Amino acid sequence: MIDKFKDKFVEEALDNVHDLEEALLLLETDRQNRDIIERIFRAMHSLKGGGAMFGFNDLSDFTHHLETIFDWVRNGKLQVSDHIISLTLESIDHIRHLLEIGDLKDSQDIQSQKAFILKVQNVIAQQNNTPSEVQPQPVTPVVKQEKDDGTKSYLISFEPEQDILKNGTNPFFLIDDLHALGEAVALPFFKALPNFSDLKVISCHCAWQVILYTAAPINEIKDVFIFVEDECKIDIQEISSGNILTNPELKQLVDGSISSNKPLVLTALQTIKQENKQVITQEETGSKKKNTLKDHKISSMRVASNKIDELVNLVSELVTIQAQLNLYAENSGEPTIMALAENIQKLSRQLRDNAFEISLIPLQSELMRFQRLVRDLSKDLGKEIDFVIEGGEIELDKNIIENLIDPMLHLIRNSVDHGVEMPSERLKAGKSPKGTIFFKAYYSGASVIIKIIDDGKGIDPEFIRRKAIEKGLIDAKLELSKKEIFDLVFLSGFSTRDEVSDVSGRGVGMDVVKRKIGEIRGEVAIDSEIGKGTTTTLELPMTLSIIDGLLIKVGQNEYVIPISSVEKIHEFVNATISNTLNNILSIGEKQYPFIDLRTVFDAKTQIEGSEQLILIKSEDKIVGLVADQVIGEYQTVVKPLGRYLKKHETISGASIMGNGNIAFVIDTNRLIHFQTIKRRKTN
Amino acid sequence: MAKTVLIVDDSESIREVVNFTLQNEGYDVLVGVDGEDALKFLDGREIDIIITDLHMPNLDGLGLIRKVREMDAYKHIPILFLTTESQAAKKMEAKEAGATGWIIKPFVPAKLLSAITRVIR
Repeated sequence: MIDKFKDKFVEEALDNVHDLEEALLLLETDRQNRDIIERIFRAMHSLKGGGAMFGFNDLSDFTHHLETIFDWVRNGKLQVSDHIISLTLESIDHIRHLLEIGDLKDSQDIQSQKAFILKVQNVIAQQNNTPSEVQPQPVTPVVKQEKDDGTKSYLISFEPEQDILKNGTNPFFLIDDLHALGEAVALPFFKALPNFSDLKVISCHCAWQVILYTAAPINEIKDVFIFVEDECKIDIQEISSGNILTNPELKQLVDGSISSNKPLVLTALQTIKQENKQVITQEETGSKKKNTLKDHKISSMRVASNKIDELVNLVSELVTIQAQLNLYAENSGEPTIMALAENIQKLSRQLRDNAFEISLIPLQSELMRFQRLVRDLSKDLGKEIDFVIEGGEIELDKNIIENLIDPMLHLIRNSVDHGVEMPSERLKAGKSPKGTIFFKAYYSGASVIIKIIDDGKGIDPEFIRRKAIEKGLIDAKLELSKKEIFDLVFLSGFSTRDEVSDVSGRGVGMDVVKRKIGEIRGEVAIDSEIGKGTTTTLELPMTLSIIDGLLIKVGQNEYVIPISSVEKIHEFVNATISNTLNNILSIGEKQYPFIDLRTVFDAKTQIEGSEQLILIKSEDKIVGLVADQVIGEYQTVVKPLGRYLKKHETISGASIMGNGNIAFVIDTNRLIHFQTIKRRKTN
Repeated sequence: MAKTVLIVDDSESIREVVNFTLQNEGYDVLVGVDGEDALKFLDGREIDIIITDLHMPNLDGLGLIRKVREMDAYKHIPILFLTTESQAAKKMEAKEAGATGWIIKPFVPAKLLSAITRVIR
């Protein structure tokens, strides 16, 4: 039956390992912190205990040794050292391996685990300055079966302390347990009783003697008292082999003992003659209770992620259908249906919000990987870097987090490799030898902003500009703002390092980072100051599958613009916009560049009368999009595009409308980005 | 009447094994994820025994045992703790805090049940 829970254990153990790793990295910077040490100890303890329960014996054995180190640390017998942290991190990888494969079978693996354990033991041994001394394994009190086929009679004296009842022990149960071992006679004795007025209900003033005839070995008798051995006087003496209880002389002795309130004496018992009789076998005590489902409360639970995906998917479908219903209801003009549709809308929105909340997970869960990366990499490169995290509690759709990891790893790797300087270099620049990489996450409207800030040497914009010209990415005469220059880094074919370094050169350029972030409807930007450091900013949506959109019409087709990026909408008389020069429009005192969607999507037909200018916030610019008609706000499910349309630059998805038509979702940031490039080229 | 057992452990897999085993035997089971969480069940309802892990976040096993022993309603309730250490020190500490007995991990269901029937019937 244990097997049933094995998967659960592995899943949970991986969480423990994760926690362990995280705590270790924290410990590295805060070595005296007792809370962290406790956390590490606890995680190891769970791994050890669970491992043994669920048949991961090698894991349990291994963690036991590791745990010993932290037990020593916990008790102040050992100081946390670089060696301990490195060794434990190394161990974590080994533990992951063990969780994956279960117990070791390969003899080489077994040898290497042994070698590993020796290394762990040496930590303690060195502290002791004695040769490696193996801590004894925790021995479960499995009673050794004595080879003893014969039955015996015992005299058991059991004198509990007065306080024994306090902690929930019931001495009668112990007497019962003795009875269960064979045949028994129990004699109660009262110790000096206090005056009635001083008598406390909770005090025990009774002692017992039990004569037990049993086939059970003496250890099993001792076992009855295992919980109370420190709170009682227990004396177990063998009277003789065979059954003394059938001896008629015994009755006399017992009667005498009761009337005088004086305990039986072993020697007296041993003198009476015994007869051998058959052992009374242990009776089954207590009937089995029925298997019923009982009330059972758990405050949180774990759900397989595909179930959540399915839930979100279903909710998305529901939202689509609900939109259809709404449309139908409005067109029908029937009050009952309209009221119903409104209620369903309210409910489905709540359901949607709930479902999404469920699918959000905190960034925290992945941050440790970054931390580990910074640690390992900086050690390799001989740099000193602190990785500081702020906003780990920020929650994002798990699909976004999954897609975020690789680009983030790349960005952080860049900061460690190219950003933060060597300690000597930093000292020369008047900085502290230890660099910092600051990871900061926060909510901004419906988006999440993540910043990776390093205090390294920064990037020289002039260098990037020259490089871009050299690579033929831009024209030498082109005037670019600082921001535009940094954006060049994201163009494919741009790499600031000629020689591919061992660290960052993994075939992923910044263009790939940009594309990957773009795939989850995110934006990435770089800002840098020479000598001061570089900041990479990611702007991400909180969720992927549903957006609140603005439904617009361009030509025959409908499009959706994420409402989060819409600033304002202006209506103009037909052809006002089309007749403007240079694609710049003045509204009030401000001038806005605009993109005519009719040109972008090659739409011929126009709606007579008016045209709409939708002002969109893209990064730090406001840009207008021109459409024929604004239909209204529309909550929509974004479906991914198929193979043929996937590479489309400006469309990020599609949505099925209430009437069955398809509306494309415009990725406004990319639209503006690509149009800007296009215009620059044609200019 | 079925006995009510409150199990407290921060490990979900252990909780599930204990819970499954006990429900199968007809016990009513309440589940707490740590000491702090367990306290919410100690609101006057009838509980026959508490089985708690020792190493837990928020409020650990020893803390829980001490707290329970201060509550009038549960002062004398049997408490068993789960432990992997067979070292006398840990057991002594828990016993001194007021535990009734212990169950050594790893355990098989039979061992768990016999430990419980040692203290409640």
